This record gives sequence, C-alpha cells and structure tokens, in this order.
Amino acid sequence: MPRSLVELQNLTYRFRRKDDPVLEDISFSLEEGTFNILVGPGGSGKSTLCRILDGRIPHLLKGDLTGEILLEGRSALELEMKDISCSVGSVFQDPETMFATLTVEDEIAFGPENLLRERKKIREDVQKLLDLTGIGPYRQNLVWNLSGGQIQKLGLASVLAMEPKLIILDEPTANLDPASTSQVHELILSLRKQGMTVLLVTRELDEFLAEADQLLVLDGGKLLYRGEPYGILAGKGDDLESRGIWLPETVEIGLELRRRGFPVEAIPIRVGEALALIDKLNLVSRETVLTGSEAPGWDETAPPLIEGRGIRYSYGAGLYALKGVDLTVRPGEMLAIVGRNGAGKSTLAKMLIGLNRCREGSLILFGKDSRKWKVPDLANHISLVFQNPEHQFLTDTVAEEIDYSLQSRGVNDPEAMAGARERMLEQLGLSGESERHPFTLSAGNKRRLGVATMLVGDPRVLIVDEPTYGQDREMTRTLMTLLRDIRDRGIAVVMISHDMRLVSEYADRVVVMSEGLKQFDGNPTELFDKAEILESASLEPTLLFQILKALGERGVTCRGNIPSTGAFIKLLLREEESHG
Amino acid sequence: MAEHNLSYKERGSALNRVYPLVKLIWVFLIAVGLFLFTRPLSGLAVFLLVLALALIPGKIRPGEIIRSGLVVFGLGFLLMIFHFLIDPGETVWSFGILHVSDYGLQQGPVFFFRLSGVVLASFILIWTTDTRDLMQSLVKAGMPYRYAYTIFLALRFLPLIQREVESVRAAHAIRGRAAGTTLKHRFVLWQRYVFTILINGLRKAENTADALECRAFGYAPERTYVKQITFRKRDMVLIIFTLILEAGLITAERLA
Repeated sequence: MPRSLVELQNLTYRFRRKDDPVLEDISFSLEEGTFNILVGPGGSGKSTLCRILDGRIPHLLKGDLTGEILLEGRSALELEMKDISCSVGSVFQDPETMFATLTVEDEIAFGPENLLRERKKIREDVQKLLDLTGIGPYRQNLVWNLSGGQIQKLGLASVLAMEPKLIILDEPTANLDPASTSQVHELILSLRKQGMTVLLVTRELDEFLAEADQLLVLDGGKLLYRGEPYGILAGKGDDLESRGIWLPETVEIGLELRRRGFPVEAIPIRVGEALALIDKLNLVSRETVLTGSEAPGWDETAPPLIEGRGIRYSYGAGLYALKGVDLTVRPGEMLAIVGRNGAGKSTLAKMLIGLNRCREGSLILFGKDSRKWKVPDLANHISLVFQNPEHQFLTDTVAEEIDYSLQSRGVNDPEAMAGARERMLEQLGLSGESERHPFTLSAGNKRRLGVATMLVGDPRVLIVDEPTYGQDREMTRTLMTLLRDIRDRGIAVVMISHDMRLVSEYADRVVVMSEGLKQFDGNPTELFDKAEILESASLEPTLLFQILKALGERGVTCRGNIPSTGAFIKLLLREEESHG
Repeated sequence: MAEHNLSYKERGSALNRVYPLVKLIWVFLIAVGLFLFTRPLSGLAVFLLVLALALIPGKIRPGEIIRSGLVVFGLGFLLMIFHFLIDPGETVWSFGILHVSDYGLQQGPVFFFRLSGVVLASFILIWTTDTRDLMQSLVKAGMPYRYAYTIFLALRFLPLIQREVESVRAAHAIRGRAAGTTLKHRFVLWQRYVFTILINGLRKAENTADALECRAFGYAPERTYVKQITFRKRDMVLIIFTLILEAGLITAERLA
C-alpha cells in the first residue's frame, strides 16, 4: 500500500486583504512514488497550490490559510521552511531566477552545501546529476550563458541534488523549443521510472497524460476532479475541454466522436489508442480518401510586402546567424517561422523590423531597400508583438498606450484619437480596462494590449513572437481568432512559435529555420511528412499528424492540409466534401 | 545567447587568482585615494594604474572596457564640462554667456577621474571575481554567510538586468516616436526603462529570495563549501603597491 507523502485537507487560502479565496476547500493526497499532473486554465490557482506544497505559503508569503497540510504525517504549518525544503523540491516556472551562483556545478552544489553535506558526497552527487541531465559538458559554464533547455535541466538538477521526496515542476517546458522540450520530457519520464514522487504542472499533456497515476483538475481555485486520467477523461472530458484546458488531440478526437453519438467507452490518449478507436468504429477503410484544403488561403500572385534574397547576418567574429535566407511575405497570409533556439528566427524578425541591418543579401521591405528605412518609419508598416508585452509598455494606462501608438503614427487630433482608441479597445475586448495600469492586467489582456498597440497604426505586416506564451487554451483561441481576423483584412501575420499544434491549426504556410538556413517553406501538413527536415530542425509532428501518417501506412489516402481535429473528424465522417 | 559584458569570466589572468577580499579592499583603497586627491594629475595616475591592471594582469579586452564603461565615462565627461562652466574662479575662456574658470579646469578632471576610476576598479572586481569566492572570503573574514551572500547576490543580477535593458530598448524602439520634443520623448523612455526594469527586477529578486529559502539557505549557522579558496601573501602586492602610490601622490600634492 503506497504511503501518503503529502495530504491536503480542506485547504482554503486567501491573499492578504482579499475577500475571495484563491484556493477553496482543496483536499487530495500525493502517494509516494506516484506521478501526478495538475492542470487548469490560466488563473485557476495552480502556482499558488505549488507554493503551498513547497512551503513558500505560508512561511514566506503570508495570507489567510485554513485547513491542514500534512507532509509525511506532520503538519507542514508547524514545520520550518528549512525542514520542508529537505522534503519538497520545487523547480520554479522561470528557473533562472532560482540560481544563486555563477556556474553550473556550483549551482548544483548550492543546496547540499546549505545542508552541510560532506564535500566528497556533494562532488559525487554533482557528477551523477550532470550525467543524468546531460549538462556535464557545460559544468563550468556561466548560468546565464545556458540555453532554455539547459536552464530547465540545471534547475531540476539543483533541486534533485537535495534528494527531496517530492519534486514539483511548474510548467517546465513553457517556451522551450521542441528539441529542448523533448529532452526535458525524457528527463521527467526517467524520474517517473525511477519511482520519484512528481507533481507536474503543465499544459503539454501529449507525452505525460497516459503515464500519470493521478490527474488533478483545478479551476477557479477549486479542485474539480482528481483521479486516474482515463477515468476523468471518460467522465468529465467534455467539461475539461469547455473550461479551456489543453487536451491532447487524441483525446479531442475521442470526445468529439462520443459527442456525435459513437460508442466510445475509453477516451484515447496515445496515438495507438486513437487508431484502435477509429478501426473499431469502422470509420476508415483502404478506399478512404481524406482530402484537406489544397488551395492557399491567400493570393500567391499579389506583390510581396517583404522580399529577401540570400540574407546573411553576423553578430561578429565571423559567426553567421543567417547564412543566406530567401523569404517572401504576401498580403493576407499567416506565416509561421519555426525552428530550435538559435536557428536564426529572432535575428530574421529583428531584421524585418529594422533592429538588425541587412548588410549582406537583398531585403526589400514594402518596395524599398531595407537599408533606406529608419526604424520609427518602418514601424508604421510592420509591427512586432514581443514575447513579454510588458517590455513594450510606455505609459500608465491602457488608453494612454493606444494614444501613444496613435501619436507615433501622426494622429494628434483629440477627437480622431478618441475614436480610434475606442474602436481598438472594443475590438480587442479591452474597453473595461482602459484606465488600468498595463502592468496590472491579466496575462491574456497584456498580450491583447500588446497586439492593440501594434495594430492601431494599421501595419501591413504584424509579427507575433510566441503567441501562446503564458496563455491557456481559451486565451490562445481568442488571440488566434483575432490574428485570423487581422489576416482576413489583408494584413500579413507572421508568428514565431515553438508550438507545432498551433502552427498546424492556424498557419497557412510554415518556414523552418535551422542553423541559419531556411530548410522548408510550404504548408504544415507537407512539413510533417518530411522526416529528415523534422529531425534536422528537432521538430515533433503533432499527434494528429502521427494519426494521419499511421492511417496512410494502412492504405488510407490523406491529401492536402488537415490542420485540426475538427477538420479531421469532418473528413472522417464525410461531413465535409473533400477539397481540391 | 548574447555574451554579457559586465559579468565574471575565468580568463586565466593573474587578477582572477588574487584573493577576492584583497580585490575588494583594493577597490575601497582606489575609491578613498580618488576622493582625497585634489589635483587632476593624481587622478590620472591612479586611473591609468587601474586601466593598466585591467588590460595586463586582468586580461580584459579594451572593447569590453569601452562597452561596459561608455555610459559612466560619458557621464564623467559631462560632469567635467559642468565643472568647467559652473565652478568659481578666474575666467580663462569665454564663449558667449559661458565662462570657463581656472578652478573649474582643475576640478573637472578630478571629478572625471574620480567617477571613472572608481567604476572601472569596481568593474575589475566584477570581471575577475567569482561572486561565490568573494562571499567565501568575507565569511572567512568573520562575516555571517547569510549577509555575505545577500550583499553579493546583487552581482548575480547584473547580467539579468543587462538583458532586460536590451529587450526593453528593442521593444521601445519599434513603438515609434510620439509627438513632442525629442528630449521629452527620451525622458519618457528613460522613465519607462527604469520602471519596467525595476518592476521586473523586483519580481526576479523576490523569486530568488524564495528560491534560496526553498534550497535550505540558512539551514544552519555554517555551511559546506565544495570549492576552497586560499589567501596567498603575494596577493598583498596589489594593496601595498596601491597604498604606496596613493600615499606618494597625496604627499606630492601637499608639498606642491
């Protein structure tokens, strides 16, 4: 019988001077050696719950906490922080802010040094963890020179070094490139195999959901469901979907088929399970032809807004971030630029907005040589929404942010400005927030304000860096619908993303960057069929594409672009005529 | 990922090997000396000493010094011009309503070297010293490790802040320029730089403070140090040479 490592009983927590609880009447336990996943939409209280489990609340952050937290049978409220830190290890959302030293090996040693462990043991443990996480070659590196994936691995190694009984991982792969995400996923699964008790907060459930012993679903500060994942999906899957929780495409297919009256007993999680369900329901045969859209959604003959030929860019020392890239962007298309970190995506984006000068090759922006543009003038035609929208804010209210952008585009008439501002706030759903300080908005609204400030000048190209960063499924859908509307108005939307599912669902065209070169330029479905390109750029095909590929291997003909599970089901059930 | 200028780097240099506390005391001595000097030549001599130490035993590239120090050296230069124009004394040159005084001509460079010298010496400490070693040397000198760590964790933050400044600057550049004077626009941008960096800096600092607690920092009055640092008598050469030079310069100023 597994022993309960952590037990929460009727836990309620309010921040100081707040009436509404951020967590309400939460009860669950984490058994020793189990793998637990915590999910919930943005603002549901996941991070607060992690802070309670690792002792930061109430030991470091006060508030009104009632109920009981038992850590190995002892009340965590009566334990000191230093005692809790020996049992519970927490890897923060941004592990870089956890680091207290300068080099990789010092960082791993930091915790055990505080625990007064012997030097010899610490050295041995550091070596073991360097090997486990695969960051041994970087042991002497400065922590701020590590890549995103290496930072996550170091964060995990630093916590594992203290030999905790429970590891909490709060969104460990948010904003990592696919290659790093895959490595971190492997590492987490290896911990699970080693019998470590893990609580993972993540929206990337594809690889984990089937492995979990317990799924915890939080929304509005309440624990809605807890239990074995297949059971929860069978009973409450539709509810999870409606609450804006990201679910694997396999699950979406199972839920949608069930909603349409098919007898689906178990909701599939793995690709093999989804295929077995499709077989069982006799939805395909060797004669089936699934033909998605083959015509591009934009005018391929329209004069290009951006035309680059043989673009090269060096940051110095003869190292080229771009080694001869051709790129064309036309009005009304949604283009995704993908690739691992350091592939040249950001360098290219900075070149398009004028922050990097194109000195080698040719780059024509809106009919004029890029070298002849000044950054502020170019900003009237092309805009970039930064990953962290806070970096772009310049004023003290939402309304003033819009006004600033209008003024910078030459709109100074108060009436014209007020009209344009109101229209933009309404369009972006920010009307009720106009007097708030931009920094106090929710993550989703900050992102929308970032888009709004860039849209007011009617740019012809809008670049969005990582649209899904910090967003739950519902926020992402809202934002992507907005970007689609923008595209439909004839504006070219360029998104830089690591999220292959987003690329598959929304992009008309995808450009793959690798080692400073363009490796692919075409539609997402074609990309997923190019195994060598996916491998060289360390990209993972979506679960939907894996299903399509497996169906193809069984004799089903899959053609054109099938971007989403919705489109797939329609084709599968012959609800939509095949295109082309 | 971009290399950050103002951060520790193992260059295999002689200054890398000097005992951290000795370097800290040396920075203090440089600061005291520069504040006691009243003649530009003394300031120049110490500034050149600091620069030579950075370049030769420090193995710091001139480009790094210029990139990191540009803003401070620029401020020092403005301070010097300011003293030229506002200090009392006999007028040496006049340009319309602007008058340069003889006292200003003497005080201007004194302030320039004071600011530039202290900052450059501090940069040398940052460039050549692992924060952890500095902390350990302070603990060995009797400071409780919690305080020693807290003070020097700030150095750990410099590269993060530098990166934040770069991101904010790039993000602001593409917002275009609002109507109004350039000076006003620059002031608005400067205000926002400070605000954004301060807010994000405070969030990071709060996270770091929490992370230290979560990693058992302060678990016991003592802690283990995997890496050992040792004091060598010959490291004192840095302090002795600086003391002799500064004492000589102060004496020469008094006698002149």
